[in-house]
Amino acid sequence: MLSEVRLVETGSMGRVAYARVAPNEDLVLSIEKLCVAEGFAHAFVRGALGSLVDACFLAPDGGTRLVRGPAVEIVSLAGEVRTQGDGSLRAAITGIVADTEGQVHGGPFVAGANPVCVTFEVTLEEWLPAAA
Amino acid sequence: MTAFILAAPLPRPRTLVHPGPVGPIRIEHRHANLGRHFRLGLEPGRTLQDAIIEPLTRLGVRAASMTLLGGRLSRLLYCVAPPDPSGERVANYTRPIATGAATLVFGNATLGRSARGEPVVHCHAVFVCEDGRVRGGHIVVDRSSVAHAPIPVLATSLDGIELRITQDEETHMPLMRPFAIEEASHAV
Repeated sequence: MLSEVRLVETGSMGRVAYARVAPNEDLVLSIEKLCVAEGFAHAFVRGALGSLVDACFLAPDGGTRLVRGPAVEIVSLAGEVRTQGDGSLRAAITGIVADTEGQVHGGPFVAGANPVCVTFEVTLEEWLPAAA
Repeated sequence: MTAFILAAPLPRPRTLVHPGPVGPIRIEHRHANLGRHFRLGLEPGRTLQDAIIEPLTRLGVRAASMTLLGGRLSRLLYCVAPPDPSGERVANYTRPIATGAATLVFGNATLGRSARGEPVVHCHAVFVCEDGRVRGGHIVVDRSSVAHAPIPVLATSLDGIELRITQDEETHMPLMRPFAIEEASHAV
């Protein structure tokens, strides 16, 4: 039912976390792990740059698109982490990458399929929803 | 009975082997209790490096994460990172590629410190070249300049965190890493 979909959530920003993620860790899962480590229930990505071995995006047809590296440069990310009904954390991350010739590609990153090449720097800002 | 979910197979991720010893900590992280936010207008005619570092230094910000918004650059140099033929590293930056003037679409940047303690900016961005091609990569911030209008930047300070570039043994690359302020001052 539409009435059950909460379209507006009031809240405030809390702590700010910065991480350096090492090679072969996954881009999406490392953002979730950073939230677990910092105790963030919800967070927004505030900045990110680094490189991937290969980039793997979800395609509109439900398949995947692979951008071959190494290294594929992470140019910019948008995304958030939300605590799920079962208590798990889920990051939804979209972004733009540049391949080894500087050509750009974008889309939603597939969790588990985007290993870091040399480094991944990410800044998350904790989101504190007001009590409903 | 176990319930199975049918899912399309993913491309198998590749695990690369870097030349140095593998560091035991895979996610190095620090937090600030509250981020201070600043909106900067990058000064026309200045390099991206100077236009970012000078106002943040005046504000007392030593470490920050930034989003660069759109704007014009009078000159832009960037690098991409193909495989390193020497084998010394898995991938390495190319020599800077000059585009001449360009339109910045957006980008992200980190303010930290060099190994010698000087302020440094690490920036990746997407831009449109004068021939219309859209490109992206690692921006050479000390050789790329703001054109005639200020470029807006949202900066989030990372108070209490020292971001410092150190030589990474695993990848053989100089990398930005977070330290506690006390730890960093002891190391100097």
